[in-house]
Amino acid sequence: MITPQLLISGVIFGLSIGSIYFLLAIGLSLCFGLMRIISLDQLLYYSIGANITYSVNLLSGNMWWGVLAGMAVAALASFAVERVIFLRIYARDPTFSMITSFGILIGGIGIIKYFWGVVPRPVEVPTLLQVSIFGTEVPVYRLIVIAIAAVVYIGIWLFLHRTIVGKAIRAAIEDVEHVEGLGINVSRLFTLTFIIAGALSGLAGGLHAPLIMVDPTMGLEMLAFVFMVVIIGGLGSIKGTLVSALVIGQVVSLGSIIYAPMAQMAPFVIMLLVLLIKPTGLYGSPVFKR
Amino acid sequence: MSREILSVKGLNAAYGEAKVLFDIDMSVNTGQIVACVGRNGAGKTTLLKSIAGFLKPTSGSVTADNTLLSGMKSYDVAKFGVKYIPQDKKVFFDLTVRENLELGSYATKDYNWDQVIAYFPKLRLLMERKAGHLSGGERQMLMIGRAILGRPKVLLIDEPTEGLAPGIVAQLKSTFREISLKTSLLIVEQNLPLVCAIADKVYAVKDGRIVAELGDKESISVAACERYL
Repeated sequence: MITPQLLISGVIFGLSIGSIYFLLAIGLSLCFGLMRIISLDQLLYYSIGANITYSVNLLSGNMWWGVLAGMAVAALASFAVERVIFLRIYARDPTFSMITSFGILIGGIGIIKYFWGVVPRPVEVPTLLQVSIFGTEVPVYRLIVIAIAAVVYIGIWLFLHRTIVGKAIRAAIEDVEHVEGLGINVSRLFTLTFIIAGALSGLAGGLHAPLIMVDPTMGLEMLAFVFMVVIIGGLGSIKGTLVSALVIGQVVSLGSIIYAPMAQMAPFVIMLLVLLIKPTGLYGSPVFKR
Repeated sequence: MSREILSVKGLNAAYGEAKVLFDIDMSVNTGQIVACVGRNGAGKTTLLKSIAGFLKPTSGSVTADNTLLSGMKSYDVAKFGVKYIPQDKKVFFDLTVRENLELGSYATKDYNWDQVIAYFPKLRLLMERKAGHLSGGERQMLMIGRAILGRPKVLLIDEPTEGLAPGIVAQLKSTFREISLKTSLLIVEQNLPLVCAIADKVYAVKDGRIVAELGDKESISVAACERYL
């Protein structure tokens, strides 16, 4: 029997997990939209963000410092990977980048295991406060996660639509060669986008850390969901990524309340349906050209 | 006094193993409109792309205003003032006309659009419209307007009138004349009456080679151009 309390609780849970999916998938989506690379290494930056959050929280007793440090380290790691590896393979087929980035992910997991070990570790939730929504007690931390994702979405939207660098990125998502023809160094836009993507993946990991157990392979566990979010939303679409992440979050959350196996199966069904009806995804653009 | 602003010497270019351009020599002077004519597949677009830095020549040199452009990245060539306007009338669909122009300004730091509006007054009325919703003629106006920001030295324009209505072509013809007073133009064009009306010099391109140079107004005619196609 599904009570209203259970339903409200499920919706909030779905929104918070959808927010994590969004923060993680946005990097993957932007990287494909602009650079035409499938950047599975974003899942490594997610793991880095979570592990750094764990360590800094342990040292300082403040999880938020950990989240910030996690974002910074993830951004640095993504910058290094872009300069050392992706710079050399941009011109190659996207499948090449997928295999390369999967290799980076697996190698990175090895490094995380070396420094943090293989034992899953808990991160303390920064606040145990709960608020009542229509008579249902809801953890404040989950609401904070949702709010942060909303702020990030608005921030990215403003960046892409109100700043000249953001407009150049939108133009380059349509056609790299034409942007270069204007005299704009697109390579710098690539690097900037990669750093933003890495930082947001790190943020996703840091925010997710108190809600799960932090372990070296946590990125791999998110792989299927993040892929689905990006494909359903449409590669390169920020709005599509948000809508898709929230839908998948609800399907996972409410699905597990209604019938547990559905939570694992339903997202795949949605992805198949979307691909059949609109192969470019809900908000994917057919005008992309590299 | 007219002086040489763009010089191409012994230019060879290839796509992989397929050689496309063979020992191209050409020049453009300040204030000139120079046209390249030739059949489809003759290598005209490849020539413009090689000059603009989108295709690395296998040998030869391209210099503009005494600066060697060969080996420069395409965005550096554009920044230097040699800009390529491709054939596909490709504006940034998802951006408004204003945003398209802003990108032109961002690259050149030239935020004065008075000249653009003077050439193409219609753009003023379309500022907030998404570029993807413009007609072919309006897109061409936007592409040229975007490119003349920063007052480039040379514009390389690929098939500017292809698919456009006669009225728009007539307007572009007079605009090209006005632009050429400040910026030299190298135009690839199949519309021979237009070429003959505006060009100061014509190169006929066939099978990747320049087969004729019509160097003065008197020698430029449709019949003379057709002879080499």
